[in-house]
Amino acid sequence: MEIAIKAKDIVKSYDKANLALDNVSLNVFTGEVLVIMGPSGSGKSTLIRTFNGLESIDRGRLEILGLHLDENQDEKQIRKIRRRVGMVFQQFNLFPHLTILENITIAPIKVQKRSSIESEITAKELLKQMGIYEQINKYPNQLSGGQQQRVAIARALALKPEIMLFDEPTSALDPERVKEVLDAIRNLANKGMTMVVVTHEIDFAKEVADRVVFMDEGKIVETSSPQNFFSNATEERSRRFLNQMM
Amino acid sequence: MFLERRSIKQLKKELASSPMDTLLTIVIISLFTWVVSKSIHWILFVADWEVITHNIPLYLFGSYPKEQLWRPLSWITILSALTIVTLIGGKKIARKKFLPLIWLSMIPIGIVFIAGGLGIYPVPSRYWGGITLTLLLTIFSAVLSLPIGIILAFGRRSELKFLRFISKTYIDVIRAMPLIAVLFFGQLLIPLFLPVGLEINRVLRAVFAFAIFTGAYVAEDIRGGLQAIPPTQQEAALALGLSSRQTLQIIILPQALMTALPALTNQAIGLLQNTSLMAILGLVELLGISRSLLANPSFIGKYLEVYSWLAIVYWIICTCMALLSRQIEQSLSTSSINNI
Repeated sequence: MEIAIKAKDIVKSYDKANLALDNVSLNVFTGEVLVIMGPSGSGKSTLIRTFNGLESIDRGRLEILGLHLDENQDEKQIRKIRRRVGMVFQQFNLFPHLTILENITIAPIKVQKRSSIESEITAKELLKQMGIYEQINKYPNQLSGGQQQRVAIARALALKPEIMLFDEPTSALDPERVKEVLDAIRNLANKGMTMVVVTHEIDFAKEVADRVVFMDEGKIVETSSPQNFFSNATEERSRRFLNQMM
Repeated sequence: MFLERRSIKQLKKELASSPMDTLLTIVIISLFTWVVSKSIHWILFVADWEVITHNIPLYLFGSYPKEQLWRPLSWITILSALTIVTLIGGKKIARKKFLPLIWLSMIPIGIVFIAGGLGIYPVPSRYWGGITLTLLLTIFSAVLSLPIGIILAFGRRSELKFLRFISKTYIDVIRAMPLIAVLFFGQLLIPLFLPVGLEINRVLRAVFAFAIFTGAYVAEDIRGGLQAIPPTQQEAALALGLSSRQTLQIIILPQALMTALPALTNQAIGLLQNTSLMAILGLVELLGISRSLLANPSFIGKYLEVYSWLAIVYWIICTCMALLSRQIEQSLSTSSINNI
């Protein structure tokens, strides 16, 4: 199988006492949905953010779609990666001063230098897929959380990325809004998008994930199929975490 | 009927709930009536408004050559018309993309109309005056101080220590200086440093001095705006592959300016009033022209008339500025970050 993301012995620390990432090695295969779970502070967000250079690494090697990254942050290389890797954040992070349409077309126009007509056609198509076409000329704060997160997904998809990263995409949503966002992500998975998803949604992970990675204290504790992980996790630490969750 | 009784009751409660209250109310109302009636009496019967009515052209344009008066007149007329259209047009007009462009075009139009050039007969700056000069000084200094402020604000947040130091020092030094000192420097000292023969227009020197001064304050306002933007905005922009420059330009700066808008309006209004300091330094803007009129033997002693008139003119211009800024704020309010 082709490897989309290859992480080798990455180390990252914010302060000297604690390692946020402690020698993490991980492969993500093309077309795979990888779910990362773990308690807060376990380093799962940090890990996913190294995949598009939002977080620098102190040691180790990363290979994203064949592009190398190491502790020397090469700005050009990082931008090349970001053009091919989309990201969706917990807090949506839409641009409040731009309309929904502008939020989605800004990157294709400014980064990929595509024409505004072409970008708008793509944006409209994506908004239809996400079921929020009517909101096209509104501003982000006029939308519900679930709608905003779907716009954020559309915004990331507008660059036609080869990998999508989701950093707790439903954690900031009202419970009744979670489903519409998960549905959108599920649709993407069914289309064969390579995805790394940090989430606490167990049902979603069971159904959509190809593999589940469990992290704690900056280390990968366990990697297994969702069936194995949720029914009989090998590691004591994983079982404790799952008991708390369920 | 019920409402009426209630409001009378309310009035009674607010104005006369105790004997002391009643007394205070009566004293204040009689004082107020006395002041208002005296003022009206003065305005209508005592004051001699000749000093104003005779000199309206002077107040508007200073000693601008008579045969060229159409130039400042049309500039001020277009400006006023634009102000009225913007204020009355409401949200629909204010949202139009061309409106800011028209406003911006008033700057080159103003330069060409008043100073001349581009085939228009040049008029030296010593003939500029009155409201025209006041507006010219205000608008140009404001427009120039904005980029200075933006550069300084970003400089203060820069990752380069040197840039941070320079910006911070500039802001601190300028803020520790009284405006009049900066203006004196601009008017009296700069010519001494320049080689003989090279002379910068007096108005231009004033504009530079105002911009240098106001820029430091604008920088702090914009820095406040920048701090109000969550760092996640920058992350989201970078994650989309935008360069650092694009991120600042398209995502960060517009939001910072929007947040800083009320504070920036404050600066603009302050600037307008500060231009009156130029009267001391020999420019005949609104206050300067008033002072020279008061020195004229035929209008001697007309202080009250002249200064009341000045107060009204400044009030009108300031109110227009405040209303315009509110208009901009409202037209941006749907997208305002404060509404989240």
